[in-house]
This record gives sequence, structure tokens and C-alpha cells, in this order.
Amino acid sequence: MVRPRLIPCLLLKNGLLVRSQLFKVHQDIGNPMSTVMRFSNWNVDELLLLDISDHDYHDLRREDLQQQYEGDTALDVLRAVSRVCFMPLAFGGRIRTLEDIELRLASGADKCVINTKAVEDPDFITQASRRFGAQCVVVSIDAKRLEHGGYEVYIGGGKRPTGLEPSSWAREVERLGAGEVFLNSVDRDGSALGYDIELIRSVVGATSIPVVACGGVGAYGDFAAGVTQGGASAVSAANIFHFFENSYPFAKRACLDAGLAMRPVVLGSRWNPREPIYDQAQADTRIASRLDLARRGPSVVAAGRPSGRTPIRWCSRCVSPTISAAPMEFDDAGVCSACRMADMKTAITAEEWQRRRELLRGILERYRCTDGSRYDCIIPVSGGKDSYFQTHVIKHEFGLNPLLVTYNGNNYTDVGWRNVHRMKEVFDVDHVFYSPSVSLLKRLNRLGMIVMGDMNWHAHVGITTLPIRVAAQFQVPLLIWGEHGYLDQCGQFSMDDFPEMTYRDRLEHFARGYEWNYMVGREGISAQDMIPYQYPADQVLFDLDVRGIYIGNYLYWEANDHARMVIEQYGFEISDQPFERTYRRMSNLDDMHENGMHDYLKYIKFGYGRCTDHVCKDIRAGLMSREEGIALVRQMDHIKSRDLSRWLDYTGMAEVDFDRIADTFRDPRVWRVENGEWVKDNLWDESSAQ
Amino acid sequence: MLAVIDMKVGNLRSVLEGFARVGAEVQIAQSPADLEHAEGIVVPGVGAFGDGMACLEQQGWVATIRAEVIDKQKAILGICLGMQLLADGSEEHGMHRGLGLIRGQVVRLEPTEPGHRIPNMGWCDVTPHRTSSVLFGHSSVETFYFAHSYALACADAADIVATFDYGRPLTAAVERAHIFGAQFHPEKSQQPGLDFLDRFVRHVKRA
Repeated sequence: MVRPRLIPCLLLKNGLLVRSQLFKVHQDIGNPMSTVMRFSNWNVDELLLLDISDHDYHDLRREDLQQQYEGDTALDVLRAVSRVCFMPLAFGGRIRTLEDIELRLASGADKCVINTKAVEDPDFITQASRRFGAQCVVVSIDAKRLEHGGYEVYIGGGKRPTGLEPSSWAREVERLGAGEVFLNSVDRDGSALGYDIELIRSVVGATSIPVVACGGVGAYGDFAAGVTQGGASAVSAANIFHFFENSYPFAKRACLDAGLAMRPVVLGSRWNPREPIYDQAQADTRIASRLDLARRGPSVVAAGRPSGRTPIRWCSRCVSPTISAAPMEFDDAGVCSACRMADMKTAITAEEWQRRRELLRGILERYRCTDGSRYDCIIPVSGGKDSYFQTHVIKHEFGLNPLLVTYNGNNYTDVGWRNVHRMKEVFDVDHVFYSPSVSLLKRLNRLGMIVMGDMNWHAHVGITTLPIRVAAQFQVPLLIWGEHGYLDQCGQFSMDDFPEMTYRDRLEHFARGYEWNYMVGREGISAQDMIPYQYPADQVLFDLDVRGIYIGNYLYWEANDHARMVIEQYGFEISDQPFERTYRRMSNLDDMHENGMHDYLKYIKFGYGRCTDHVCKDIRAGLMSREEGIALVRQMDHIKSRDLSRWLDYTGMAEVDFDRIADTFRDPRVWRVENGEWVKDNLWDESSAQ
Repeated sequence: MLAVIDMKVGNLRSVLEGFARVGAEVQIAQSPADLEHAEGIVVPGVGAFGDGMACLEQQGWVATIRAEVIDKQKAILGICLGMQLLADGSEEHGMHRGLGLIRGQVVRLEPTEPGHRIPNMGWCDVTPHRTSSVLFGHSSVETFYFAHSYALACADAADIVATFDYGRPLTAAVERAHIFGAQFHPEKSQQPGLDFLDRFVRHVKRA
């Protein structure tokens, strides 16, 4: 007996994973490596990787990320993926010749997925099957429901009708030698409406090769029907696997619970542990060569890096640049995905917000403690305005008893310190305030700067680890985060995805691929020293059903309004003196470097800073014109802030060394050296040219 | 060191990465001479039997493989088509001769139930038939990934070390002295598959 398969489908666009809706809207999710590593660790049945790029080029260069790619084509990504992929891998996208198939197999694919070419040249299926075997040839069929009933096959990324009917086309591809059909419903793509069972059944009935069903899954419970009602040999989905912790194991469990004889849920693999295995000797070499490069100065740094292929542009509505820390897409009108997302958010009606509030209520009630044995939920708090807002909502609007958890990175401003310690009094709640040793923090500050150009690695990882550790320890399954930063900053998700906190997010975005074990053995740091940064095991999280929800997905989120409310109701204090690198006074009081030198390093890397971020948000919120924003950016983005002197004293680094190490992280697509100075194209030059 | 024969068609890289993951030293064998210094030989392969054999014959692999395995007693592992090539012959697209290291013929899968699809693509439970073997250790039933339309019917049932069920038991793996084969893809079978490769690697090191 062959077991039905559960297959995540990943869409690759210019080297990055994207989320897709109706085959049209694509939003960046992140890099494929960390996701595939997670899949190997989860013992996933099989993986489908579809490259949907229009042209075969990507540029993923980021000096501050742990994962590095060689090359700039889809095959290079495939080779990198194959190193961490120990499940069958079907690879598709732009396959036109037998040589294309040969190259993909040689680069790590086990089967190839053919779509447009199969329709244009059916004989190609036969040639490929004869040469590589039927099991290597997967024909992908994109089917669209016709207005008056029936279906039609579309090609060219769901854009071109073919006049073919899916089930007869499937029968034909089988006759021509295909070994499997990957059947996708164009209408259901990203819809979360469940599979189109009628479509699946018609294709399964017309063929005797395996059929993989895809398109429409919005909940774990949607998978089983593809097999039980549709008769598919395997069920697949894309978006759902990106957004939830242990998504695949939970989806698998739902299928098993529905009676499908799938392989069991197996969390963890001794050959593919969740925490990356670093080649420490190679890492040492990379660090040493960076320090060497730093010593040799800017012109040497710049000389070693070819510039980008396309000049940098800025969003025509806000001021987001095309090269940014957060992955972003720009549409044909030159508008960034964050602005589009803000439009979608603005378009959400009061009734819809009410529905979302009730969804939140449902979740909170489901996880509320009924027997007094534990807290109702955990709120990770920094003591900022958002922390106050979250606690206000949870405690006073929904009447839960939360446990507040704070990671203290030893960088509080005086105002921030008063704010965080006021919370237990004004909200009448319990509060765990966790402070790692200062000596460890100093070493992690230095390491973060040298390894990834960010002294605050410890803070980003601490904040996204410690509350989950406390959740596991206190057996509290629900964590309440504020807003998903990337939804707001770069429009990474749809408002309908309801993304939650995941290990992948933490490792890829917050830790930049540098897990706690990377630090062990450096600056005398031991594994035991790193306990605050060690994420609980998947099995623990799975058994407890730990979820970290973002209430920004359920409640209307406007930071400026929150600040006003918490000042009035709870005595929240804003900064008594302005920050140097942004005009906002109410953000990041918990960490003097977050708005300061940490952010200055973002400017060094990508050519923009927090002022740009805040301006973008305020333009989207209608609080500022683009011209006003540009003036602020011009005034503030480049400023080297005063907290640098504290940091240099704190860690014992000289300013010249700091600057030179920082220079090694400059993005060559943004920065170049002219007459010994770093220069870049500027937003205001573009504006004057228009 | 293990030598993985480059069959030109097939998922060579996946096989190499699988062995690399379990810490084995592997090299691609481009020509028969490359087998000389190898401690073990791996024949990967996806595709058709006739093409696979033609590839081995054209470049003079057949005599060398037989000499290394029969005369020098080197361990060999055939994976999927690679296992089928170990047999006497196959009926896939006409009759073809194999390497003749395992007695038997490769025959087309015959579906006996409506749920059976050809190719057989997916995860099947594999039942070991010996209490202890090189390929399976002492392990019980585990699930591996298969992708094939043909299967090896062994002439000597003693060569069959594990079976899977496809309406009736079929050969999942063979083991005859130092000659090994798997119908499934251990390099693509996640943890159980990597464990399987690891056992083969450790056997080669011991031998």
C-alpha cells in the first residue's frame, strides 16, 4: 500500500519564496533554505518547488545574513536547497528542453514539473519520459472554472487559455508518458475556500497515474477531502505552511485524525536537527576575512563587490527603497507591497474588524485557563506603547489574566525603565523580568557587530525566545504579540493569512540565520551561557499546542492612537528628549541603541534608517505628505547618534574599528566609493529629476 | 571512500548529498578507472533499464563493476533503477540484459486494486525479513519513498531482505553477501532513509 502524501508547495520568485494569490499577487516570505531545512527536520513527505520568476536572475547578497548563495540563477538556489533537502523534490518553472531537465536533476531535483511546454509541445512529454523515466515527469495542470460550468486548462502562469479540458488533457499526458499530474485550481489559489473536489475527482477518474491536488487549502482540516472525496494520491498547499508554528506536523495530524493512512508525525531528525549545524572553521574564516577587509579600508571593500544590475528605486507613494532590510515587492505602478497592504487594511470595514475581534475572542476563550492551574496567556512586553496596548486589550477588554514577560537586554533608557516597571502596578498583573548577565551581553554585543553588523542580535533573539521558554515552563499555550512587523513594514502577508510567530521567522528574520549555537565557543561563551536564547523543542511546543498570535491581525492598529490612549489612561511616558535618528518620540524606549546605532547600521547596510520607516508609516496613515517625509529622511537617516559612545565604552571597541567593520556590511547595490568616500543614490535626487 | 557512478540521467546530486549528510566520503565516478580506489560502489539511477544498461556498456563499466564486485569482493549498493540493473535482465521496453549480480528479472508492476497507480510514487511500508541485516539492522517496519513502474522478481528468495506490499509482497531490498540493492530511494526517505545509508556506509568501513 502506498501512503497518501502531504506535500508543501513552495513558490520561488527571483530567489525568494513568495506567497501567491489568484496567481497574481506575490508577496515575499523569505529565503527557501530555512524553510526547506525545517521541512527536512519535520520529515516532510515530499516537496514541490516552483520557480515562477519571469526572468532567471536573483540577487540575494546580504553580508549580514548567515546563509550565502553562490551564483544568481534558479539552479544555484536549487543546488543550495539540495544540500538540506532529504525528501523527494519536484522542481518546476521555465523547463523548455531536455537539457533543462538534465540540469535540474544534476542540481538536486528528483522530478521535473512541466506546464506550459507540455501544452505547446506535447511530444516533449514523451521525449522526457523516454529519457528520464515516467516517474521523473510531472505535468502541472492549472485549471480554471468556466462561468457556465466545466473547466479549462490555462498556461503561462494562469494567464493564457488553451481550450483544453483538464480531465481529457490529463488522460492525454498520461498516454504521452507523464508519471504524475499536479493539479492546481486557479480560482482557489490563495482563497482558503478548500479544494475544488469536483475538479480533482474528474481528473483522478480520467487517469491511472498519481494526481496531486493543490489550491484552496485554508485550514488543516481542508486537506483530507482531497483524498477521501477527490481520490488524489497526494494533497498539497502553499500558503498555509508559511504562517504557523509546526504547520506541517499539525496539518499531518489533522489528516491522520481524518483517517488518512499517511506517514506519522515525526518531529526532529537526527540527521537534520532544527538548529543549523555550522561549520565553525568556515565561520572563523569568514569572521577573520571580514576583520581583515575592515583593516584594509573602504576602497578595498568596494572593489571586491560588483554593483547591482538595476538601480535603486523608491516607492512612488511612500519612500520605501527597492533594496531593503525587509523583503518587498513593487508593482507596475512603482508602489510597494507595504502601501498596497496598507490600502487593503484601510479598506477593511468596521463589520470586518468586528468579525476579527470575535475571532480573537474565540481564540482567547479557547486558551483561557478554566481550573486556576496556569495563567491565561503570556504577553511579551518591552514596556513600550504597544506592550501597554496589548496588556490593556487582554486584561481590560477581554478580561484575561496574563503573565508579562520581559527580556532585559540592559539597554533601557530611563524613561523606558520606568515604563516597563510601571506595568505590573497599573495593570495589576504578574511580571517576569529576565536579565542575562551583563558580561554575556557585552560579548554578544561585540559578536553581533562583528558577525552580522548588528549589536542587537541578542535582543532580537532574546525577545523571540525567552517568552516561549516561559510559556513552556509555565505550560501556557498562548502568547500575545503586538503587530507583525513585516506585515506593516513590507506587506509580507495578506491580512487573511493571520500569520503567527514561528521558529522559522525567528531564525531567518530575527536571528538572520545565526542560531544560539553559532555563538558557542566564541568570546569564551558556553552552551550553558546561551540558555536564554535556546528555543524549546518542537515536541514540547507541539504537545502544548503553543501559538503566538499577533493581535494586530485582529484589531485595528494605529501606533499614534495607541500612544495617546496609554499616556492618558496608564501614565505611559514618552521620551523627554528627541531621538536623533527619528522624529517619533514614543518608539523603542526599551533599547537606547534600537533607534540609535543599531538603526544607524541599517543605514550603513541599506542606505536608509528608521526615519524612513516612520515616514513611510505616517505617509500611509495620511499624517504626512511625501515631500514632508523626504525632508525628514534627508535630515535624519544618515545621523550617527550619541549612544555610540556608550556602546563603545560598554564593549571596549574603538570608533574607527566600529566604522570599518560597519563598512564591510554595506550593500554593493546601494553604496559605491567615489574619491575615497562612500556615496549612494538619494531619494531627493530622484524627486528633483522627476 | 564510496564511488557513485555517474549514470548521466538521474538524481546524482541527491544521492551525493544523502551520503554527505551521514558523513560519508563520496566521489563521483566518471569512468570505470575511478572505481579502483573506492571501498564501495553505488549505482544510483532513475530512468529506463535499457538506457541505463546502454550507458554502463558504452563506457565499459560492466566488466569493471563485475571485476570489482566479484573478484575484489567490494560492496555495491544499487538504488532504484540501480538495484534493477544488478539483476539478470528486464522486460522494460523489450528484453535487456543486466549486470547479473543478483539472479532475477525486472517485471512491470501490475495493479491489483483501484488505488494502485503506476508509477508507484510515494511512501510504502518496508518489512525486513531477517532478524538482522546490514541494510536494516534490527529495525522493524519503516516507511521509504518509492518511484518506479517496474520491480525486481528475485530467482532466489533468500536474496530478498525486505518487501513492500503492492497487492502482494514485492522486493523492496536485496542483500546477498556484499551485494545490496534498494528499490526505494533512501537518499529521499528522510530520517529512515539516511539511517539506511548510514548502515551501508558503516558496513563498507568495517569491511
